[in-house]
Amino acid sequence: MTDFEIIVGLETHIQLNTRSKIFCSCKADSWGDPPNTNICPVCTGLPGVLPVLNRTVVEKAVLLAVAMHAESVQPISYFARKNYFYPDLPKGYQISQYDEPLARGGYLDVPMPDGAVRRVTIQKLHLEEDAGKTVRAKGRRLIDFNRCGVPLIEMVTGPDLRSADEAAQYLIRLRQLLRWLEISEADMEKGHLRCDANVSIRPMGLNYLNPKTEIKNVNSIDAVRQAIQTEVERQKREVSAGRPIEAWTLEWDEDLGALHKMRSKETEADYRYFREPDLLPLLVDSGMRKRILGAMVELPLERRARFVMQYELPEYDAEILTEERSLSEYFEATLTARPGEAKTISNWMMNDVMRMLRERSVTASRLRLRPEHLAAIIGMVEGKLITTNTGKELLEKVEESGRAPADIVAAEGLSQVSDDSRLRSLAEEVVAESPDQLKAYRNGKTSLIGWFVGQVMRKTGGKAEPQRTRAILEDLLSE
Amino acid sequence: MTGTSPGFDRERITSEIFSHLVELAALELKADEAEYLRHELNGQLNAIHELENIVIDDQLPISSHGVPYHGATAAGLREDVSEPGSLADDILNQAPQLEGRYVVVPDIPHRELE
Amino acid sequence: MRQALCDLPGHELVKRLRRKEISAVEILESVRGRIEAVEGRAPTTEPYSAQPADLERVHAYITLSLDRARQQAEAIDRALAAGEDPGPLAGVPLAVKDIFCVRGTRSTAASRILQDFISPYSATPVARLEQAGALTIGKVNLDEFTFGSSNESSAFLPPPGNPWDPRRVPGGSSGGSAAAVAAGEATISLGTDTSGSIRQPAAYCGVVGLKPTYGRVSRYGLIAFASSLDCPGPVTRDVTDAALALKVMAGPDPRDATAANLPVPEALGDLDQSAPKLRIGLSPDYFRLQYPEPSTGGLSERPVDPEIEAAVRRAADLLSDAGHTIVENVPMPNTRYGVPAYFVISRVEAASNLHRYDGVKYGYRYPGEVADLRELYRRTRGVGFGLQPKLRILMGMYVSGEEYEKDYYQRALRVRTLIRRDFERAFDPHGDFRLDCLLTPTTPSTAFEIGALYGDTVSMQYVDLLTVPADHAGVPAVSIPAGLDGRGLPIGIQFIGPDFSEVRMLQAARAFEQATEGDEWRRIQPRVVAAASAGV
Repeated sequence: MTDFEIIVGLETHIQLNTRSKIFCSCKADSWGDPPNTNICPVCTGLPGVLPVLNRTVVEKAVLLAVAMHAESVQPISYFARKNYFYPDLPKGYQISQYDEPLARGGYLDVPMPDGAVRRVTIQKLHLEEDAGKTVRAKGRRLIDFNRCGVPLIEMVTGPDLRSADEAAQYLIRLRQLLRWLEISEADMEKGHLRCDANVSIRPMGLNYLNPKTEIKNVNSIDAVRQAIQTEVERQKREVSAGRPIEAWTLEWDEDLGALHKMRSKETEADYRYFREPDLLPLLVDSGMRKRILGAMVELPLERRARFVMQYELPEYDAEILTEERSLSEYFEATLTARPGEAKTISNWMMNDVMRMLRERSVTASRLRLRPEHLAAIIGMVEGKLITTNTGKELLEKVEESGRAPADIVAAEGLSQVSDDSRLRSLAEEVVAESPDQLKAYRNGKTSLIGWFVGQVMRKTGGKAEPQRTRAILEDLLSE
Repeated sequence: MTGTSPGFDRERITSEIFSHLVELAALELKADEAEYLRHELNGQLNAIHELENIVIDDQLPISSHGVPYHGATAAGLREDVSEPGSLADDILNQAPQLEGRYVVVPDIPHRELE
Repeated sequence: MRQALCDLPGHELVKRLRRKEISAVEILESVRGRIEAVEGRAPTTEPYSAQPADLERVHAYITLSLDRARQQAEAIDRALAAGEDPGPLAGVPLAVKDIFCVRGTRSTAASRILQDFISPYSATPVARLEQAGALTIGKVNLDEFTFGSSNESSAFLPPPGNPWDPRRVPGGSSGGSAAAVAAGEATISLGTDTSGSIRQPAAYCGVVGLKPTYGRVSRYGLIAFASSLDCPGPVTRDVTDAALALKVMAGPDPRDATAANLPVPEALGDLDQSAPKLRIGLSPDYFRLQYPEPSTGGLSERPVDPEIEAAVRRAADLLSDAGHTIVENVPMPNTRYGVPAYFVISRVEAASNLHRYDGVKYGYRYPGEVADLRELYRRTRGVGFGLQPKLRILMGMYVSGEEYEKDYYQRALRVRTLIRRDFERAFDPHGDFRLDCLLTPTTPSTAFEIGALYGDTVSMQYVDLLTVPADHAGVPAVSIPAGLDGRGLPIGIQFIGPDFSEVRMLQAARAFEQATEGDEWRRIQPRVVAAASAGV
């Protein structure tokens, strides 16, 4: 059987997290709101209304374009009208950039789980307005215009992805970047990040492109992976059976886990684009560009590499700590307070801080446990002022109360007991109270040492310095 | 036909092209309307064809608006401030058919699954 | 002869009102009386057949809002009594072309498809005029969606008649505006100009029509025809009123990205102060008409109506006598391409602008059974639109189709550049002509009879031959009355200036007005007004 190469390109639509819509002052985020509440004459296309472009939309798009290494952020770009009839499109045209988009070219280097890096090229990045939603009902459609005019960036990749997994990895990295730059919530389930996939196959080693199919309506990363995989298998069967692949549009049915062919509505795409006369050319001059890029930050993959280089963190740690921007910033802020202890801090974060984040469903920047608190706790543990267990409990206590760790330690008497004479007298008490265990120990069951340490711990409320306690006990027990 | 100018064509928009335009435009026309409209379209197209005789340099820029906008005369972009809309109910009141707060339309054709 | 309040210009009304010689309610009552005398039966969308009485009346208004106006008038009188400033247009009766949205009023665009649409918001220029104290008398008729030059394409019939001869058209598309102002049914009107729709009816009805620079006045709330050309502007009794109305409605608007970010010149409030000596140009290209012969496509040429040319030349002489410099033979060679380029540009934009009327969100919806959504669209638009919108939609569809767009639309936008360059050369302060403005005829002829051209859309469009170039170029232009022809019909002359030069251009127009203050024709009233006055 022939080996096939899989060729996938993705067309993504990114919903920006601005306060207002792209061309009017309506609230952009209508999640959970009743239908047709965030609407005004402009976004419902009443007679006589005009669009006025939202500055923040442009700024966020320029940030993304630069982060995607765009070859050019155009000093002048234009909006066009894409004309078609659909009930979720109140003006009968969508205002979208078309032949002169905001940015062209660019790429994202996507690390793959096997360690390889796939460079995914970007053909263009443009701005457009979202349409409303239609709800199917028996024999009719219900229309909600809340989403009309929500700002979108459309970004189209080259046919560079070579498997369903690669497509999924691209989306994971894109989502990470969008959140990192704070330009989109990028939640696929909520439609903040939408994806159409163009899929074709060709015999391995050949260099032409076969007809492709377009898969629409995939709204999770798992669904993208499954839908592409399903379509690739179908195409392989067709080609192996000697049937041609036709340029269909397919729809992913999440519930059935199956693809349906969509019948094209008057397939000729006669949108009769022309320049939107209600908007002026979009100018991004060097001053504006400079101001926008003032907000640019180190990107996730760059930061990951730096963590490995600069702090000698394992790849694994660097990956986890840079999954999300505020986590990485939290790490570095903690490190500033305790320089040279990157791995120790990483361990605390990956074991404990991230668990707290998960339990509370928040990002690191939202914790009351600030990086300086974490640094102080680690400092006390390292300095043997408190035990590791006390340190871990302190994390929660600081988060609950917002008080400084040292204050809590002082107030609650949590300091580690490391005074030799005090530990020795406690150990003697325990030995005196435990004749059976003493006998067993001395008969060779030395593993009981842990039990003895535990008894001392109990008497100190967990504050006994463990190594010293153990040494004292070994000394007493062996007498 | 003598004396007509080059490019003159009374039938540039044939019935076939015309039907296609009518379909694109989502119009339902009566027969007499269609006849009149096609006649006028062809008349206007002949007027438009005067433009073909103009020698135009490829470098000649287009004018999307007559008055050019400079930095100073161009209105700026809108600041990203959201204002609670107060007209939603007035807007919905204009809709021919509502169900709750939804606007209702008949079912949509040409979008069947196989 | 003591003039009725409804026949006075706005600035005179404001002056008398501020001196408390008259009240706003008295002004309103004067207008109400005139409307009762000359308006005739209200236009409707019902099947129409012309009655003899219809040809004696003006039929300017689609919707009257005298109750709204009464409240505004009472508020102004209260403000005056309280010693407050009632605004620069206090008590001035205003007719709004029914292409503007006015909150809480029917806003129809003279189309069946919007016949019951109540706008939830007001257009910026309307809001500014009302804020300045104007009394909103009602919404006046127009060609459907402004598509025409005679008002005969309105879905609301009878169509407006010309107050000078109601068997003739008032021009269009702001025909209701010009007719209402000429007949004393309003003192000022807010119109729109896309190819001449303010200036041509102003010329036909013997009033002033000002098309400001594109971007000078916000388009927010103006139901769009051709977005890159549409321009709101005033129709008034005299030049001073035009300047006053412009001053009120002009200026940047956060709701219109194409509204220019320029301050409104204070001088609009007092044109007569420091009026400069101007260089005024005449162009041979505005005294001849070049148009394709409908039957052959061959190019024909004929001169403008000799009486109109004579009026322009007389104006030039008078302005010269007043110390202004007249520059002859200014070439404007691309004038003839204005109409064909307009056929393309305006249709592409219009077809797109009319996409939104689909029976889903507002306005007319076909009430019968339909199989699916697509049929609802077709039937709603089929019944809702008249012939002229349908024609513009189809033409727009054709010339913006992927296979033709480059040949037609892109080419037309380049031709617009050529037309624009004619003006740039004429107005270039370092060029050969260095004009402050051009002086031209407004129209090739005076008002024609109802039914004379309607239906022949090519001939109808060529009525705009001398007005459409300024729309393409975006430059300001004003038509003012310059006498009557042998049949007693008004003649309009046009001043066209460079971008944002409204003050100078209106000063030129004002200079002509002053030079002809004593002219006999200025004492002659439109026939319907004379008849109404005689009847009182």
